[in-house]
Amino acid sequence: MTAFLINLATLAAISGILASTLNFIVGYAGIFSVAHAVFFGLGAYGGAQVALLLVPNPFLACLVAAVIAGGLSLCLALPALRVRGEYFVAASLGLQMVAATLFAELKPLTGGIGGLVGIPRPELFGMVVPVLPLALVALALILWATARLQRGAFGRTLQSIRDADTAAEALGKNVNAAKTLAVAFACAGAGIAGALYALHLSFINVESFTLDQSIQIMAMVIIGGAGTLWGPLVGAVMLLSLPAVISFIPFIPPTEVGAVQQIIYGSAMTLLMIFRPAGLLGDMSKGKSTS
Amino acid sequence: MLFLQLLLNGLQTGAIYALTAAGFALIFGATKIFHVAHGIAFTIAGYVFLFAWRADWPSWLGVLASIAAAMLFGIVMERLVYRPIQRHEGSFFTVFVAAFGVSIVVQNIIGMIAGRGFATVDTPLSFSAEILPEIFVAPMLWIALATAAVLFVALTLFLTRHPAGVALRALAQNPDLIRTYGLSSNGLSVLAFAIGSALAAPAAIVTAMTTGLNEAIGHHVMLISIAATIVGGIGSLRGAALAGMMLGIAESLALTVVDTQWAEAVSFLVLFGFIIFRPAGIFGVTQTR
Amino acid sequence: MPGPMIGRRTALAASLALPFIRPAFAQQAEPYVMGSLFPMSGPNAEFGEAFTRGAQVAIAHINADNMLRRPVRLQSEDSQALPQPSVIGMNKLINIDRASWVLSSWTATAKAIAPIGDRAKTIMVNGGGVGPDLSGLSPYFWNVIALAHLEVRAIVPFLVNQRNVKRVALIYVDDPLGDAILGQLREQLPLHGATLVGSYSVPRAAQQFGSVVARVRQSRPDAIYIASFGAQQAQIVKGLRDNGVTQIICSFSGFGLDGIRTLPEAEGALFTTQKLDFASSDPITKRFADDFQARFGQAPVTYHANYYNAAYLFGLLARQVEQAGGEVNGETMRAAMLATRKFNLVGGEGEFDELGNMLTQLQVNEIRGQRVIAVG
Repeated sequence: MTAFLINLATLAAISGILASTLNFIVGYAGIFSVAHAVFFGLGAYGGAQVALLLVPNPFLACLVAAVIAGGLSLCLALPALRVRGEYFVAASLGLQMVAATLFAELKPLTGGIGGLVGIPRPELFGMVVPVLPLALVALALILWATARLQRGAFGRTLQSIRDADTAAEALGKNVNAAKTLAVAFACAGAGIAGALYALHLSFINVESFTLDQSIQIMAMVIIGGAGTLWGPLVGAVMLLSLPAVISFIPFIPPTEVGAVQQIIYGSAMTLLMIFRPAGLLGDMSKGKSTS
Repeated sequence: MLFLQLLLNGLQTGAIYALTAAGFALIFGATKIFHVAHGIAFTIAGYVFLFAWRADWPSWLGVLASIAAAMLFGIVMERLVYRPIQRHEGSFFTVFVAAFGVSIVVQNIIGMIAGRGFATVDTPLSFSAEILPEIFVAPMLWIALATAAVLFVALTLFLTRHPAGVALRALAQNPDLIRTYGLSSNGLSVLAFAIGSALAAPAAIVTAMTTGLNEAIGHHVMLISIAATIVGGIGSLRGAALAGMMLGIAESLALTVVDTQWAEAVSFLVLFGFIIFRPAGIFGVTQTR
Repeated sequence: MPGPMIGRRTALAASLALPFIRPAFAQQAEPYVMGSLFPMSGPNAEFGEAFTRGAQVAIAHINADNMLRRPVRLQSEDSQALPQPSVIGMNKLINIDRASWVLSSWTATAKAIAPIGDRAKTIMVNGGGVGPDLSGLSPYFWNVIALAHLEVRAIVPFLVNQRNVKRVALIYVDDPLGDAILGQLREQLPLHGATLVGSYSVPRAAQQFGSVVARVRQSRPDAIYIASFGAQQAQIVKGLRDNGVTQIICSFSGFGLDGIRTLPEAEGALFTTQKLDFASSDPITKRFADDFQARFGQAPVTYHANYYNAAYLFGLLARQVEQAGGEVNGETMRAAMLATRKFNLVGGEGEFDELGNMLTQLQVNEIRGQRVIAVG
C-alpha cells in the first residue's frame, strides 16, 4: 500500500508543479497555452540526459532542465506577444504538434518513440534518494514563488495584462517583458517537473509529452480553479488519483475495464465543469474566474 | 506525375477537412464556443453510417441517419453542456475541458458498442482506377469534391439569403445587435450547432468508405478544423473551408519535398507561421492582441 | 480505503478457495493474483481485449485442474499503452494486489514497468510486443513471443524463393520495432538477391495514406512490408489496395488480429507468426483451441495463444515451487524457470533462454478467404 501511495504522491506532486506553473500564465496572465507538455518534455529529456551522461544528481538535472525549458520558452512567448485568446491557443496547439513530431524524430537526443531507458535513480552524496521529497520541495518552492510574484508589482502587471493589454501599456507597464518573463518562469517550472518525472520513472518517451498530456494539465488547472493558488494543486491530485481510485471498483469484466474507467473519468470532468464552472476552489460568486 | 497524383490525393483529404472546418468555423463564429467535441460529431456520424450499412439500409437512408445523428449530438451538446456552463459565464477553457470530457465518454462508448479497432464501409467507390498513366483516382474523389462544392454553395446561399442565415452571420458580427432586433440568440446558437455538426457528416461518410473508422478518428480532423479556422481567419466560413482544403493539399504535396513522417507536422507549421506572420488569417479581420 | 477492501477481498477469496484448500493452508486462502497491464481503452484496445481473452482461458484451465493450492484471479489494469498509467497500474498490482506475475504488452508499458518489477522481483511476461528492445529489460522480464528481427529472417527467403519477389518497399512507424525491421530488411534482402527499394516512415497517429501510397507506387515494389500496429495497419492495407497497389502485402505478427483477417483488402497478405497449428493433436493445443472457440465463439489466433502461454506458464512454475515446498514469488519462479527451461505449452514444447526469451520456430501465414493459413 505505501509504495503505491508514494508513487501516486510523487506523480501528483509532479503534476502539481505542472498545473501550478501553467496556472501562473493562464490564471494570472491570461496566456492560454496547450503546449505545456512540450516544456515538460524538454525538461525530462534534458534531465534524463544529464543523469545518463554525467551524474544522476537531481539538482543538476533540474537546473539543466529549467535552463533548457526556460530558454526555449521563447517559442511560446513569441506568439504570446503577437496574439491572444483563441489565436494563441491555436498557436500553442501548432507548437505542441510540431514539438511532438520533433521528439519522435530526434533520436540521438530523445530516443525517438522508443524513448530513453535505464535513467539512473537520483543520488545525493553517493546515496540513492527517492523523488518524492525532491518533488515536494520543488512544488513548495514554486507555490511560494507564485504567491510572492502574484502579490508583488509583477503580479499586478500580469493581471492588468490579463484584463486589458492596452490599458497596461498605457499605464507604462512593459507588457512584452512581463509576458516573456512569466512564460519563462512557467516553462522553467515545467522543465523541473520533467526532470523529476524522468528520474522517477527511469524511462521516458514522446508519448508522455503529447497534446493529450497538455490538455490534461490544462484540465487540472481549470477543474481546480484557475487564478487561485491552491486550485491547480487540488485539480492535479484529483485528476491523477481519480483513475487510480476508479480502478478499485470491483466486478467490471476485465475486457471492459478500460472503457468503463474512462467513461467515469470523462463524465466526472464534464459534470464538474457544468456544476463548478469556475473550478473547485474558484470563486463562483465572481462568476468569471479567468479570461 | 507524382506531383499530380499527390495533388489529387490532397484534394480528397482537403474536401474532408474543408467540410469539417466549415462546420467548426460556423459554430465558433456564431456562438464563440470553441467546440472541441466537433470531432466527436464526425465520429458519431461515421459510425451511424457504418451501422446503417451493416444493417443493409439503403445508402440514402444511412446518409440521412448519419446527418441526423451528428445534428442531434450538436444540439445536445449545446443544450446540456455549453448552455449551463455559459449561464455561469464559464471561461473559454471551462468549455474546453467539459467538451474534452464528453469526447472521452463518447469515444469509449463507441468502442464498447462498435467493437474496438478498425471498421470500414466496403465499397467499390473507394477503389482507384488508372485514369492516366501512373495516375490513380477513385470515384470517391469526385464525390467528395462535388459534395463539398454543393454543400458550400448551399451554405453560402443560406447565410446570405435566408433570414435565419443572415441572423446567424449577424450574431457572429455583433451579438448585441441581435438582441436589439428581438431575435433569440439561443435559438440561433442551436441552429448553428445543428448545421455545423451536420456538415461533419458527409466528411465522416467519405472517411468511413476510404480510410476507415476507429474510435479516435475524429481527433485529427478536429485539430485540422481548429487550424483551418484560424488560418482562414476567425469568423470567415469561406476562409475556413479554403484553409481546410489548403491544409489537405499541403499535407499531401509536402511529400514531394519532405520525408513521409513530417507530413502531419507541415499543417501545424503552416498554422504556427500564419499566427506569427499573418494572425488575421486569409480573410479575417485583424484582431491582434 | 484499505479497511473495507481487504475485508471484502478476504471474504470473497475465502468463499472461492474453500473447496480447494486443506485446513493447514487456511491462512493462505487468498487467491494468487495475476496482473495484466494492457491497453484496454484508446486506439489499441483491440489488442488488450485479445490478450485478456487468452489469459482468461489459461486461468480457467489452471483453476479447473486444481493445479495450485490456491485459485488464481486475474486483475486487469488499463495501461492505455502509455508510460504513466502503466506505472500507476504496476504499483497497484505489486503493492495492493500482491501480484507476483504480471502480463505486459506494448513497448512503452514494458519499459516503464521493468524497473519497478525488477526492484519488486515480480515476473513480467510479454506476449505482444516484438521490438528487439524488449529483450533483457530485466531478469524478471520474459518474452513468450519471437522478437521482430527473427520474423524478418523467416519471411525474406519465403518472399524471394516462393513468391519471386525482387523489390521490397517498407511502410513503417519509426519506433524500435520499425527500426529493427528496417535494419533487418536492409541486411537480409541482399543476402537473398533482392533489394529494399524504399522505406517510408509514418507518424503513429497518421490516418490518411493515399499520398504515402503514391510515393510507394513510384518505387515499383513487388512486395510491401508493413510495420505498424492496430487500426493503423488496417488503414495502410486499405490505402494500398484502394490506391492501385496490387502487389504482395506482408508483415510481422501484428497482423494476427481479427481487424486484419476480416478486412477484404487484406486477402492474400502474408505475415509471420510463431509456429502454431491449432488443428494439431497436441492435447494442450487442442484443449486451448476448443475451449477458446467455445467461450468466445471465434477461432483463436497467435496473440490469444501467446497470452494463454504467458498465463499458463505461471501455473506450471507455481506448481513446481509449491511441490518443492517453497513460497510462490518472483524469485522462486525465476529459479524454477531457469532450472526447467522447457515447458509444454500451446503449440508444443517451448524453450526459454537465460534472458527469459522463448525460442520459437516461425511460420509464414497467408490470409485466404478471411482465414489464416500456414503456407511456409
